[in-house]
Amino acid sequence: MQARGRCWKFGDNIPTDRIVRTDLIFKPWPEILKHVLETCNPEFPANVKPGDIVVTGKHFGQSSGRAIAAKAMKNTKISCIIAEGFARTFYRNGFEIGMPILECPGITAQVSDGDILSVDIESGKVVNETTGAKLQASPTPPFLLDMLKAGGLIAMAERLAGEG
Amino acid sequence: MNMIEKILARASGRKAVEPGEVVVANVDCLLLHDLSGYLTGRVFEKEVHRPMRYPERVVMIFDHHFCPPSEEGALVLQENRAFARRHGINLFDCGNGNTHHVAVRNGFIRPGSVIVGSDSHTPIHGTLGCFATGLGNDSHAGTVMPFGKAWFKVPDTIEVRLSGRHKPGVTARDAALWLTAQIGEGGAIYKSLEFTGPYIEQLDFWDRWLFPHIVVDLGAKCGYIEPDEKTLAFVRTVTDKPFDAVRGDADRKFEAKWEWDFSALEPQLACPPTVGNVKTVGEVAGAPVQWAELGGHGGGRLEDFRLAAQILKGRHVHRDSRFNLVPSSRAVFTQAVREGLVELLHECGATWFPPSTGSNQAYNMGAMTADETMISTHARNFPGRNGNPEAKMYLASALTVAASAVAGKIADPRQFLK
Repeated sequence: MQARGRCWKFGDNIPTDRIVRTDLIFKPWPEILKHVLETCNPEFPANVKPGDIVVTGKHFGQSSGRAIAAKAMKNTKISCIIAEGFARTFYRNGFEIGMPILECPGITAQVSDGDILSVDIESGKVVNETTGAKLQASPTPPFLLDMLKAGGLIAMAERLAGEG
Repeated sequence: MNMIEKILARASGRKAVEPGEVVVANVDCLLLHDLSGYLTGRVFEKEVHRPMRYPERVVMIFDHHFCPPSEEGALVLQENRAFARRHGINLFDCGNGNTHHVAVRNGFIRPGSVIVGSDSHTPIHGTLGCFATGLGNDSHAGTVMPFGKAWFKVPDTIEVRLSGRHKPGVTARDAALWLTAQIGEGGAIYKSLEFTGPYIEQLDFWDRWLFPHIVVDLGAKCGYIEPDEKTLAFVRTVTDKPFDAVRGDADRKFEAKWEWDFSALEPQLACPPTVGNVKTVGEVAGAPVQWAELGGHGGGRLEDFRLAAQILKGRHVHRDSRFNLVPSSRAVFTQAVREGLVELLHECGATWFPPSTGSNQAYNMGAMTADETMISTHARNFPGRNGNPEAKMYLASALTVAASAVAGKIADPRQFLK
């Protein structure tokens, strides 16, 4: 699993409330996607392109654990999220909906908005093609890589429950 | 093993588990509220296509709405009711109270069990000696509803040992707010926190509740208090169903031990824009507040209304402020009536709202303009949860909220307690 794209960089402790505003959670996807992370960077929902890579600081996706925040990130068609660290519910939701995410301490110091990044999800190798910087993400547990390869939790639920 | 490890081992059919292991465990109760329940129900019916395995273990509680203010809200509730009927799950409709309080007061949460919910504050049920944590919609729809199971990585556990007695005017919520800042947002990511020590032991059940309440915003997976006689006595007041309480081994190991003493603590409040931005009330006193509210997952307890009455008795809510009172359950409102709190606080200018989760995320109430400020007992103050993202939310004890409602600005409650 590989990802390559343009970097959008965000700060620390961004709550799910700022990924999808609470008054939008029952709106149709096109409406939600117009506002994803809008209060953190209004350019993001307007200009995010398929394949782009989101880089965030610590504890990304804290607050409410509703999967719609992770689904909104996935539905922007970004190729992955690399964070200094995630809130546990966001981390769990990411794999459960089949969106590649990596924890990579030190990443925010090594990338800027617009840099081109390439990522190997399984090995966790991250290269900033713009600057030449190379980073190693924390290993992803094999159980979660399996889930990602299966396409998410629902696709592997029977096997997981011992009924597959 | 500690309590969490023993519960997870039992629920996954193992003799023992260790931190870092992934287990698939039986779930005793799934809690959904009106928003998460709707999202989860859609995933379950559109993507899973299997029957509800244990409908009696699934509880949906309408708490963000007590009476829908829009057709969109009414449609969400209508869909939820139909979903509950189709699958035979438990439903508590508008006006029953806050999801976590309703679940506890109706006996769904019993010591020794595995509790999951899509509300991120689900770890609060660690107060009853449960392994309780928040999961996402896909876990609930994909494995809990069709199979009665969920996957968990066994967390490392840290002992949080608390001691000391408060000074007058300081409450357990001040202690919990201050502790949030000491550990820090994201200061305990993926950990399990066992709250111990003489401070916790001497607290009553509903004050203990305020500690597992904070763990999600510390980044923790769960938090808990080992069940003791107080816990068991409380549980027997809400259910006569059997349960098997679990305590950790006396020689259990912790990854770390953190200790704090609350003896010198001053009244605290969490300032916008995050729960970890905690200051003493003295540092912020004087900031105008248009709204004050007792409510939310941790608030709206009988204890909160009793504390507010100490401040309001013989006084009146300030003409520039409005004071919302949101009972966490119908049982709390009944008792508030019996104790004369409903009339007392009403006559002082405060407004009673239906049992619900109040202004939490402004679904039914609590929207603010960019220029407005609220002080409340709610769990969170992140931008975007109460109307305009520029609106400000301060989190404080019921005493400080009531004092601020009287003063029309953030105020130290001790000036009213002399």
